[in-house]
Amino acid sequence: MQFTVEQKPRYAHITGTGRLNMVGAPRLREVVSKVVDEGSNHVVIDLGGTEFMDSSGLGALIGCLKLARQAGGDLRIANVRPQVRMVLELTSMHRVLNPYDTADAAFADD
Amino acid sequence: MTPSPQGRRAVVIEDHDDIRNLLAQTIGMRGFAVTTAATGLEGLEAVRRHGADLITLDLNLPDLDGLEVCRRVRQFSDAYLLMVTARPGEIDRLEGLELGADDYISKPFSPRELQARIEAMFRRPRARAEQADAEELRRAAEVQRSLLPAAAPSVPGYDVAGACRPSRSVGGDFFDWYTTEGGLQVSLADAMGKGMGAALIAATVRAVLRSAAGQPDMDQAFRDTCRHLEHDLAHSDSFVTLFHARLATAGGVVEYVDAGHGLGLHVRADGIDRLRPGGPPVGAVPGTRWVPGRIVLAPGDALVVVSDGLLDAYEDVDDAVRAVADVVSRHEDAQAVCTAVLDLASGDALSDDVTAVVVRRRAAP
Repeated sequence: MQFTVEQKPRYAHITGTGRLNMVGAPRLREVVSKVVDEGSNHVVIDLGGTEFMDSSGLGALIGCLKLARQAGGDLRIANVRPQVRMVLELTSMHRVLNPYDTADAAFADD
Repeated sequence: MTPSPQGRRAVVIEDHDDIRNLLAQTIGMRGFAVTTAATGLEGLEAVRRHGADLITLDLNLPDLDGLEVCRRVRQFSDAYLLMVTARPGEIDRLEGLELGADDYISKPFSPRELQARIEAMFRRPRARAEQADAEELRRAAEVQRSLLPAAAPSVPGYDVAGACRPSRSVGGDFFDWYTTEGGLQVSLADAMGKGMGAALIAATVRAVLRSAAGQPDMDQAFRDTCRHLEHDLAHSDSFVTLFHARLATAGGVVEYVDAGHGLGLHVRADGIDRLRPGGPPVGAVPGTRWVPGRIVLAPGDALVVVSDGLLDAYEDVDDAVRAVADVVSRHEDAQAVCTAVLDLASGDALSDDVTAVVVRRRAAP
């Protein structure tokens, strides 16, 4: 799984491309942990390039959400594909990690 | 071969009756406990269920390609694998060896040649660490299997069954049940991830759930259970999806809580309902209050709970639900339903654990 990080005015924009599974999950945690440590506590994970997510991947998103909230901020997700949406809905996690249509929309109303 | 192969297990996967018998007999004479299978899927199931030190694998099977069976075996078993091939081409043999087979033997073969091949394989020791790891994993798988209910509970007026197939030797899925006065409690859970880590979490969840079984109020019991688990789960950065239900047998009333599981189904003669989820998985959102639900099983109705491993075989959840409903309508017996549901998920490469539990209220006589 490939990640990019870009600092936007209101949030850190992270994209993940590939499969968010047992292999990708710890890498995502590392990336977000670094971003939060460096002082960005508003994080958007853009999942437009994430074709698949399993329970380990969902676990990583939940872990990253906790990190951002512990730092006084929040983590939101955007641009999810159907399989990722299915996992979120099946587990009722879409109420906590509500997917936004675009990364810009994620913190637009804050 | 090692001098004392007692306690060693072999699985013979061969569709031709005579050859299967010959293989089983010859290998049995070397002191192996032999399980036989006539198809690739049966063979994989036998290796998962019983473990194996030696596998003989016919490359020409009626269901799966032998090479595919070989590839799948290697995802969870370190057994010595002998391909039995009638194909003249060496391509298959080479491919088989690349996929993890240890040796091959061509039909027709004599019992003596077979024994010599097996002895030669067992003279090449696996790396010691690998062997120890494999042994530990085998033992873990055995323990995990022993934690699953051994037999269906006796519940007058109901037919109850469950089945679980881990994608590796051990996994994060489990189911459990116990009878109470006038009722039955059933749980199905799926711990995040796969393999040993998930299995440890699963065993913890099972124990905590059991300890709350005597608490008369289900909602309270579930809350207590989750409070205990949340602490452990937070430490291990993990979560569990959990479906827990209590059935009052007299009226068919099922009270349940669905924590992020999402695949509890009420199958009626005229349709199927997905049970309403009560909140996120346990451990995912600290402080969650789950909303319990309630259904009534009419005579002939079934409560079916499956794990999300089933979804790997389908485009979306609705397709999977329809397939389960179809299976339930075609089989009367709860055990047959479970077996058929697990089979739904075995067509493609199985990448996740699959589990099913069925509680069917018998139709009025």
